Amino acid sequence: MRHEAAPSAAVRWRRPTLLVALALALAWGAAVLRAPEDSVQGVIQKILYVHVPCAFAAYAGFGVTAIGGALYLWRGDERWDRLGHAAAEVGVLFCTLVIVTGPIWAKGTWGRWWSWDPRLTVTLLLWFVYLAYLLIRGFTEGSERGARFAAVYGIAGLAAVPLNYFAIDLFGGRAIHPENLQRGSLGAGMGLPFALGIAAGLATFVHLVVRRVEIEELRAAASAEELERSAAEGAGEGPPWRM
Amino acid sequence: MAYVIAAYGVVLAAVVAYGLGLAWERRRLGAAGRRIQNPG
Repeated sequence: MRHEAAPSAAVRWRRPTLLVALALALAWGAAVLRAPEDSVQGVIQKILYVHVPCAFAAYAGFGVTAIGGALYLWRGDERWDRLGHAAAEVGVLFCTLVIVTGPIWAKGTWGRWWSWDPRLTVTLLLWFVYLAYLLIRGFTEGSERGARFAAVYGIAGLAAVPLNYFAIDLFGGRAIHPENLQRGSLGAGMGLPFALGIAAGLATFVHLVVRRVEIEELRAAASAEELERSAAEGAGEGPPWRM
Repeated sequence: MAYVIAAYGVVLAAVVAYGLGLAWERRRLGAAGRRIQNPG
């Protein structure tokens, strides 16, 4: 019987990476080449198909962070903690992209990069909340107490997500950011590219989170092995007063 | 159109850079793990 060696990580990840790249190419191709131009904003409105999926991916990241944190507190299984940490990092990546693509769109339509509009301000707040989460993780690396604190913080931080989503409704007429999309609020022919953009954005999010979790697992395994090795070396040496 | 290209370009560059960073870290940790297992 012939045993084949396990494929390397690069080989294992090749197919999912290609699938995600294909999904993005399809979605962006449909958005840029096939979606009709907006009658008011013109071609710049096509930024919608990348800006909103990034926002949804950021929301998903922060939602998974809270779920992972809650399950870690409940079950005490470190795998949930790793999932929460990974999702927060990928969520911050997508939130950063929302903050970058939004001003590009704003410059083209409003004539300025930034406005202290409720939605923009709360998005910046959301970004800071989860940037702080990553700082906590960085400062308390490997500490169980730090992981528990981060889990509680991740659950509490989730309150910023509905605040962000409903910012325009909550702050009424002061908003210049467009309202949340409703069923039928997109023009004819825009629904499919929009749905494809959301699907491709979420597929990219899932792919990156799974890969990021693998890194956390490798780090945990490496530090466990290191601990085991130094404990074994310490046991062999004995205390310094023993000859 | 320049704004559209800039927005899509930024997202593509960020996702690719992050993915490559993960692959690099995966490779580094794999090599470190092998070193721990076989210190000689």
